[in-house]
Amino acid sequence: MTARWIRPVARVLLREVAVTALLLLGVSVVVFAILGLAPGDPFGVLLEGQASADAGAAGVRESLGVPTAWHAQYLAWLGGMLKGNFGASIRTGLPVLGEIVRTGKNTLVLTLGSLLVTLLVAVPIALYAAIRGTNRISVPLTMAAYVVSALPVFWLGYLVLYVVMHAFGIFPLGAGFSGGSSGPAAVYVLLPVVVLGVGNGTLSEVVRHLREEMERVLAEDYVRTARAKGAPAWRHAFKEGFLLPVTEIVASKIPFILGGAVIVEQVFNWPGMGRMAWQAAQDRDFPVIMGIAVAAAVFVRTGSLIQRFVYVAVNPGASREGPARRAA
Amino acid sequence: MKRAAAVCLIVFGLAVVASAAEAGRRTDGRPDGGSVAYGEYGRPATLDPVTSNEMVSLRITELVFNGLVGIDEKQEIVPELAERWEISKDGLTYVFVLRKDVTWHPRPNEAAKAFTADDVVFTYDIMMNPKTITPLKVRYEFIAKAEKVDDYTVRFTLKRPILNALAKFTFKVIPKHGPANPAYLTREDPFVHRPIGTGPYRLKSVTGDGEITLEANDAYFKGRPHIDTIVAKPFADQNIMTQALMFNAIDMIVLVNPRYLPEIQGDKRFVLQPYNALSYSFFGYNMRNALLADKRVRQAFTYALNRQEMLDSFFGGQGTIISGPFAPGSWAYNLDVAPLPFDPRKAIDLLKEAGFSQGPDGIMQKGGKKLSLSLKVPIEKESEAVKRVVLAFKNYLKNVGVDIDVQFKEWQAWKEDVFLENDFDVIFATWVFDDSADISSLFHSAEIGPWRNNFAGYRNPDVDSLINESKLTLDFEKRRTLNRKLHAVLAEENPYTFLWTLTNYAAYHKKVRRVAIHPYKFFSYADEWFVER
Repeated sequence: MTARWIRPVARVLLREVAVTALLLLGVSVVVFAILGLAPGDPFGVLLEGQASADAGAAGVRESLGVPTAWHAQYLAWLGGMLKGNFGASIRTGLPVLGEIVRTGKNTLVLTLGSLLVTLLVAVPIALYAAIRGTNRISVPLTMAAYVVSALPVFWLGYLVLYVVMHAFGIFPLGAGFSGGSSGPAAVYVLLPVVVLGVGNGTLSEVVRHLREEMERVLAEDYVRTARAKGAPAWRHAFKEGFLLPVTEIVASKIPFILGGAVIVEQVFNWPGMGRMAWQAAQDRDFPVIMGIAVAAAVFVRTGSLIQRFVYVAVNPGASREGPARRAA
Repeated sequence: MKRAAAVCLIVFGLAVVASAAEAGRRTDGRPDGGSVAYGEYGRPATLDPVTSNEMVSLRITELVFNGLVGIDEKQEIVPELAERWEISKDGLTYVFVLRKDVTWHPRPNEAAKAFTADDVVFTYDIMMNPKTITPLKVRYEFIAKAEKVDDYTVRFTLKRPILNALAKFTFKVIPKHGPANPAYLTREDPFVHRPIGTGPYRLKSVTGDGEITLEANDAYFKGRPHIDTIVAKPFADQNIMTQALMFNAIDMIVLVNPRYLPEIQGDKRFVLQPYNALSYSFFGYNMRNALLADKRVRQAFTYALNRQEMLDSFFGGQGTIISGPFAPGSWAYNLDVAPLPFDPRKAIDLLKEAGFSQGPDGIMQKGGKKLSLSLKVPIEKESEAVKRVVLAFKNYLKNVGVDIDVQFKEWQAWKEDVFLENDFDVIFATWVFDDSADISSLFHSAEIGPWRNNFAGYRNPDVDSLINESKLTLDFEKRRTLNRKLHAVLAEENPYTFLWTLTNYAAYHKKVRRVAIHPYKFFSYADEWFVER
């Protein structure tokens, strides 16, 4: 049983890793090109426009070891990255990799936690609606999921903060602080996670997609046969009707969740990668921007790799076909 | 020709008395202890005074470091690390005699080292090294060299005598044993993240998320500060920072957004303290443009603007309309000169007097030349209010028949257009002063040139001689009179349309007492603050 899926999964994995490497290269070139074409210069930000002559900027470049020509600059960056050296932030002088790991951990907690929240809310609604069809309970639940998904996440964040502070008298922001929060630790971790989980717009899509797929699968002949034999229908429907749609939708939504995290981090004072990206963009701090772009690309790719992995594991024959993605 | 500066030996009798006092506890009867946490706008990039260029860092370095001289609450120059100084008759040599009782903050497991002349020379050298990353270099290019005379005497030689040079020696001194690289300082040097100084507070810890804890320096040469610890907590959002104050998660906000003033004002636990901003905003005109060289045109522009209305609607009225070139917080500001009123009819009359007539499209013209101008505005991080101001400017001027083409420019490109190429008609900008009485670089004709501050190309012999005279006189009352005159002249000339100074407000819990605030360094006098027990 196990041996049946190892080979196909390995084959797919190998192919995907190769694609990923090319993809990362492409991402880095594109991001670098955009940075190069945008007006402004990180060294100008550094000197606050105080270096009157080009000589000043040249001195700065020299001491930072940054070549002047853009292609040399890119190659220097690429060479460093291949050796695991992402360079140092122009703004803070701190190593980019360390900073990404530090803030990335917080962002990971936020995004994975919020995914969990999304699934905890969406899956029961979708399954209930798929099994029981349209009725007095499933309709308002589904509607509610749609409405909540449509709320802008920054607004939802402020609203939740306002309610917690004024109704419960708790100051719920503690992340990044050594003290001063009057609420229990769980409150300030949970709030942003819940807000992002509910407000990132993924909720309604999970409900819709999962419900459609589950309904379709439940109507399939093999499930009906299973039912007829008296076997539990969910065991037969699980892989195709649940596992595949859920992994598909989650993988395709990772970029949006990351985008939402930038806003939630801002609202909840959460010291994550999104805030760092925002700051770096303002400063044209290219080593940081490049590092975050690569990290985000890795993150997104990992999500779709896991999805492919699950897909192929469920359906080994798919490894020989091209990526057969169903439209979400 | 420049007259030689008749400035000679100045000895501060008071300073000698002050330095005789032992370092240690203060004897002012105020209690020691307590802590103050304040909200800060984001994480500072670096914490040393050389490489940093943000307000966030500037506030921290004010607590950790000292300059040779300082500026007191009355904006007068007072001794700090230097106990006295001598200035040569030709104004080219500045000799500073240093205090002997100053020590650097000790590093862990290290004895505190004494502060000496070597540190001063080192600071100057590292600051001026071409490879050092600092915005300060341009400010100190007037110095030819710094030399150690003996362990406690330093001599600076200037390239040329400059007006008010003493105020420039407020730069913060860093220890020779501080940076890992003794030749030049970059942001990758560990020192910039964990600096040591001579100041009232020393850096205790910095978390990865940017929370900075400072603790009282028991060996501070002016006496140990009263408050035990000062903590800077970073916030991403101003609204949240205000809420943090309301929930006692922090005790102080250094600069309250006008929008949140009413909420704090209504709460008896907090003090809202206005402090002077040594800054003002203005529309500046390019005198190289023949249309703008006529002062009646510039006056017309000022009459056409309803500045009070703009201040009220865009900044909640939190500020003062100004009439002249000094910040209103300065002693040099002339209160007798009233700002020009809003009078569009008068504006049109002035334009007609200057030879303009209304064209068929409603735009004023003279000799077939339309009064159509470009307004260049730098894009800033917080530019919402700025956008409203420049659009209001455009609309007000449209009403008197002037066509304004607003162009937003990226900061660096804007600086090049304005200070290097002089390619603009009108700009909107804000000056921030460290010496509020010194406007020589803005309007003196000697300051016209690439990257110099008289970007407007303003040239007026009367103004030049008033500035020169004011610089050369030692008599404070006479200087005041001269500056008031200067103010009146420039108010009439309108090289800029002077707009307003915004009022800054700090908010803090009333347990913090005797709070005096420096306009932008903020913590300059924090060693005298205390927390009520």
